[in-house]
Amino acid sequence: MLNKAIYSFKTALNNIKSNVPLNFITATTIAITLIIFVSFLLVVLNLSIFQNRWVDKLQVIAYLKDNATPESIDKSTKEIALLEDVDSVKFVSKDDAMNILKASLKGQDGILEGLTENPLPSSLEIKLKKQFLTLEGVELFVKKIEKNKIIGDIEYGQKWLERFITFFEILKITGFTLGGFLFLFTLFIVSNTIKLMVFNRRDEIEIMKLVGATTRFIKMPFFLEGVIQGFAGALFALFFLFISVNFVFDRFIKSLHFFLGSGNWVFLDASLTFYILLLGSVLGLAGSYISLTSLDELKN
Amino acid sequence: MIQLHQVSKVYDTNTPALVDISLKIDKGGFVFITGPSGAGKTTLLKLIFSAERPSKGEILVNGINIARIKPPLIPYFRRKIGVVFQDFMLIKRKTVYENVAFALDILGMKRKFVKRKVWQVLKWVGLLQKKDSLPPCLSGGEQQRVAIARAIINNPVLLLADEPTGNLDSALSIEIMKLFRAINARGTTVVIATHNKSMAEKFSENIIYLDRGHLKEFSHAQ
Repeated sequence: MLNKAIYSFKTALNNIKSNVPLNFITATTIAITLIIFVSFLLVVLNLSIFQNRWVDKLQVIAYLKDNATPESIDKSTKEIALLEDVDSVKFVSKDDAMNILKASLKGQDGILEGLTENPLPSSLEIKLKKQFLTLEGVELFVKKIEKNKIIGDIEYGQKWLERFITFFEILKITGFTLGGFLFLFTLFIVSNTIKLMVFNRRDEIEIMKLVGATTRFIKMPFFLEGVIQGFAGALFALFFLFISVNFVFDRFIKSLHFFLGSGNWVFLDASLTFYILLLGSVLGLAGSYISLTSLDELKN
Repeated sequence: MIQLHQVSKVYDTNTPALVDISLKIDKGGFVFITGPSGAGKTTLLKLIFSAERPSKGEILVNGINIARIKPPLIPYFRRKIGVVFQDFMLIKRKTVYENVAFALDILGMKRKFVKRKVWQVLKWVGLLQKKDSLPPCLSGGEQQRVAIARAIINNPVLLLADEPTGNLDSALSIEIMKLFRAINARGTTVVIATHNKSMAEKFSENIIYLDRGHLKEFSHAQ
């Protein structure tokens, strides 16, 4: 068994060596497919990390009406704090709001000069418990408090979040659809390469049959050839993306930190790297399988 | 060793290649199949090593009814049979050693065993010094000896040869026939198809004569 496996592996390598350009083109096709697919995956992965990071910091700001009395504010604060989704409630007075605004406009606070009265409303800054920090959780909570008579507007970046999630979903669908088409195209390329390799070795296959080789034994090197092409393509794709993310992508993204917040962009972890290598290998194997099952030379 | 009972073979063109052939070749026999081109010699050999299925009749080879053998079992059946062709059927990019070792590699034999066996058989056919040569660098007689070495390395019970001297001059043909005789002397049943009737008569008394798919004569064999 082991001797047969070694023989098949050596034959597969010899097949590749005997037609390097064709095998190179196939491995490159697999690599390009995976580069496009993994690029989408990386963007989705990083945006999902960004989304989680953003949602973690999410808080609901309930702006209070000007006619709210200190007693009603105190009462409402206590009521909201008792809700099961609420982690903490902080009252921000009109003066506090102004001080925060001044601090954020440090050096440019001249634009506030001339204001005769403080236009900022007082507000309640509400942090939700972690398990309720989802878009649905936040919306449900907002519904609970919007009926409160002293609360005017409620702000939690909903429009921005909805747009982000829509963009995120479109990106995912585009990535997977494009990936699906590319995988089909790659299967076509791999299966044709293997077909050509089989045609190149028709005489050898005939002789193998004559001396008693089973079809499984004859097919094995071609299967391995597909796997090697797929694995090499995946390895190249990962290497290319790793270099790109570190030297090009990363620099570009740094300029967007103002919008996206701090934090490093992540590459695939060990398990995802393994799955991409596996995906490349399976792609190569599937391509070989399609071509080998359709060839008369390799039927019993 | 080989028994055919009312075997016929018709190809898609509807031309019968073999018609109602019944014959028996004993174990250890040295038999020639002869006849003009298109007589059905190659078809008969192909039926015996299961490269073709008969359209009618039964074929028993080494106790196996190959008219009804299941396709996945054919490779295992062929491992007990050596086949030699007129055009040698060697892999041009493999050395003499690799071409012969090939028949053992497919069985998953250990390298040490393969090496020992290949050396033995190449020595026996007188080609050990050419073990690293590629087939195109060898003469026709040498290439045919490589093909014979590959065919006998598994100690087959039956050796089939289809026009093995068709591409060789008479001196080399005699040399190859002597080699087949020596293989037969070791106990292997040998069946050779040739259009050269005089060559057949020179080397054996067991001759099957075919003409346009019909068995015309089967001399001296049981």
